[in-house]
Amino acid sequence: MDFQLSDDQSALVAALQTILSDYAEIPQAERHGYYRYDSGLQEQLERNGFLDAARDMGEVEAALVVFETARLPGVVDVLGRGLVAPIVCPDLPLSGPVALARRGDLGKGIRNLPVASHLLVEDGDDVLICSLGDTEILPVESILGYPYGKFARLPDLEQAQKIVGAGAAMRRAWRVGLSAEIAGASRAAIDFTLDYVRNRKVFGRAVGSFQSVQHRLVMRYGHAKCGYYLAMRAAWSGTDTDAAIAACQAQSGISELMFDLHQFNGGMGMTNEHLIHFWLYRVRALQADVGGPTAAALDVAERRWGAQEVPAEALSETVS
Amino acid sequence: MEFGWTPEQEDYRRRVRAALDELLPEDWDERYVPQSYASDLQVEFSREFCAGLAERGLLVPHWPKEYGGSESSDWAHFILGEEMKAAGEPRGAQYMNVNWIGPTLMKYGTPEQKDLHVKGIASGKVIWCQGFSEPDAGTDLPALRTRAEPDGDHYVVNGSKIWTSYARRADWCFLLVRTGPSRKDLTILLVPMDSPGISVTSYPGVIKFGHLNEVYFTDVRVPVANRVGEEGQAWEIVSHALAFERVGVPRYHTGLDALDLAVEQIKREGRWFNDPIVRAKAGRLVSQFEAARMLTYLVVDQRVKRMPPSTDANLSRVVALHAVKDLMDFIAEYVPDCLAGGDVLLEDYYRINIPAGVTGGTNEIQLDLVANRGLGLPRER
Repeated sequence: MDFQLSDDQSALVAALQTILSDYAEIPQAERHGYYRYDSGLQEQLERNGFLDAARDMGEVEAALVVFETARLPGVVDVLGRGLVAPIVCPDLPLSGPVALARRGDLGKGIRNLPVASHLLVEDGDDVLICSLGDTEILPVESILGYPYGKFARLPDLEQAQKIVGAGAAMRRAWRVGLSAEIAGASRAAIDFTLDYVRNRKVFGRAVGSFQSVQHRLVMRYGHAKCGYYLAMRAAWSGTDTDAAIAACQAQSGISELMFDLHQFNGGMGMTNEHLIHFWLYRVRALQADVGGPTAAALDVAERRWGAQEVPAEALSETVS
Repeated sequence: MEFGWTPEQEDYRRRVRAALDELLPEDWDERYVPQSYASDLQVEFSREFCAGLAERGLLVPHWPKEYGGSESSDWAHFILGEEMKAAGEPRGAQYMNVNWIGPTLMKYGTPEQKDLHVKGIASGKVIWCQGFSEPDAGTDLPALRTRAEPDGDHYVVNGSKIWTSYARRADWCFLLVRTGPSRKDLTILLVPMDSPGISVTSYPGVIKFGHLNEVYFTDVRVPVANRVGEEGQAWEIVSHALAFERVGVPRYHTGLDALDLAVEQIKREGRWFNDPIVRAKAGRLVSQFEAARMLTYLVVDQRVKRMPPSTDANLSRVVALHAVKDLMDFIAEYVPDCLAGGDVLLEDYYRINIPAGVTGGTNEIQLDLVANRGLGLPRER
């Protein structure tokens, strides 16, 4: 048991943070949208090999890259390109952002679709790979912190490359990645809010001196911290159970995070020029992935206790 | 990062489980556990059980060799605690002895105190109780009123302590008393519980019998030689002692065991497969307890690496408490009969955890500590 980063992991994170520090701020004049996609950073991460961490180093390292980049107010795709794709199709390196979707959701707005070069479609037991190329994507306006788009015409899935039997691996890796991304964005939103409440005065005292504010921030901080370690454990173990536990925990605490951080940032936090929405609504967007927290919880329960049919004698005992 | 156990740690866990199999009576689950670990039955049994652990080198393995330990790692000590808790804590009161009373006396005790008490604790045959809380001083310990007045080479103690688990059977009390007027004038005395002038009254309550005792001190004479450290040094000593206590309770372990019991009953009653809501709630509880497990392991890892103290131990208690609270809700909703003549182990879990947010430092104190010391939020009021 070792909860500290190894030397290699520390070196990876330090090198990554050096790059990310150039993207830590969004200039005031550019805070007019609901998201800011950093194409320059996406290319830089690709060029410097950070999106190949899963292949070159391991899944924990890829999850660390997801976590660290999620702390930025701007958005890039690491979850799809850097974590899910290398696990689902290790022999088929994909470059450029990779959007993720379930087959039943292809007619809906899809996260990262306008910037993606590929789409991985979870199709039950299998995974379909759609090369987006010249596919016409209609941008969708959304408050959900990422670029969203819809297909002008649904893709012909018969033309898509099928990876037979990769569905479970995709769901697992997706859950690991979304847990790390929620942990990173949550942590950044909490850190931002802590700075704000330490300095913002109301009734002659700092907002953060009120016990009602302090206790709720501690709860949110604790939730994000647990989420980080559960995500890393799931990446380390590679088990479906740990991935479901991590996703269940990460996706379950979002209601409180959204409410409390909006409260503590006050009215200014409702404006686009305030940074808090960049993190909060990315977290909100991830809440429903892979079926959301209820599906994850049902998975956890089934893996621990089974979901077998009720024995007839148990029913008759209940009735009698 | 590494989230698995080493082969040596797994061997150690097997060794602890084997000792439990040898030392626990066959009717442990049916007869002893339902009475709770503060019951007279379990407290008396702990003398026999802990002596058996001591013989096997499993009572104080983390202690220095000079005090009867084997200087095993903090992880070994923690694995021992996990397995004991999972078994219903058959060490009873003695988990306190080995976790913090012994280590505190090693640091602050006189040579005579170490010789008598540390050796006694290492033998597994001595029961201690903790005399901290009072009717008007619980979380706010410096408000305590029990006084110790010097009288020659003795102190004369008057006052009362409350919530004193194990007091009915304890041999010694680790007693916090006032020796001056200011909030910091607090002192630690080691008091034999058979001293003239001590009486113990037990109260029935929603938690199991044996936890809620009031101890009255009427002109109790305690030798000055039984003082730990100097007069007025108690705050430092108690802070040191409780630092050992903070991560002492693997609540995720007992919580998951209780959840397993509840789900077994729900399945027997045919309400599992047909009710996705109950399955989702149970799965969510697993994730909550696993979250608590992560923070607890994090703190042990920090201790193993001798990292500077952080507020992660306080945070781990907060996270674990919320999982416990939600599990109690789950029990009350889906297996309520355990509180009315049903599963006694579930009833025990529920009742023992009613004061979980109060004991060992209230939840609000933990939250304050993390907010102020961990997150750097301002203290001004």
